[in-house]
Amino acid sequence: MVVSRLPSAALSFKQFLQRQRVLGIYRNMMRTIRQVPDKADRKYLSDWARDEFKRNKNATEQDAIRMMITQANNHLEELQKSLALAKS
Amino acid sequence: MAARVLQQCVRTLARPSLRLASGNLAAVAPASAIHRPLSFAADSRRTRWLVQSRIPSVGVLCRQYGDLPPLTLETIKDRVMYVLKLYDKINPEKLQTSSHFMKDLGLDSLDQVEIIMAMEDEFGFEIPDAEAEKLMSPEEIVQYIADKKDVYE
Repeated sequence: MVVSRLPSAALSFKQFLQRQRVLGIYRNMMRTIRQVPDKADRKYLSDWARDEFKRNKNATEQDAIRMMITQANNHLEELQKSLALAKS
Repeated sequence: MAARVLQQCVRTLARPSLRLASGNLAAVAPASAIHRPLSFAADSRRTRWLVQSRIPSVGVLCRQYGDLPPLTLETIKDRVMYVLKLYDKINPEKLQTSSHFMKDLGLDSLDQVEIIMAMEDEFGFEIPDAEAEKLMSPEEIVQYIADKKDVYE
């Protein structure tokens, strides 16, 4: 009989990849937010992003998480677009 | 002897590159070189003055490129710790070089991402995602930055 050496709380491979994706989005989000010129806006946006990520930290369902990733990507795109517009 | 010293400093002044930088100096110095020095002491004083004034003019001619104090393991460590102390979610008293961000300082993965980004800001280069998530304590960050910037003991 094969006994898994992984601790019971270890992530499956898919979950692990998803976690990387979420962290990557968070990083991108923060990079984008850093370009916002106004300091108060920047603070507000980074707090908002953090709260959103935190709020869903207990989500375990893969499909739900995938949906949230898509949603985050949409937000990110929107943010980047408005930043580009503000610059031009 | 005195004549030779004088000759030498006239020759240095005659160099075109130097005359560019210190035009008025070159104009003044030959005039003073016409009347021969009365004593060697007076002459050596003048040469010293010329030598001293030559150094800054050479400095003007050289371009001075952007220069930072060289990084050492010690300075990297200080800067890393300074950034971490300024991060509001870290308790500065609990912070040690060996403390693990999540286990010892009670941060989460989002905080870790933010810390790595703060390090990128501080040291002015980008840390790729794959490496960023492995950096879990100040000493690992210091080691990573030292490796990237070619700093060794």
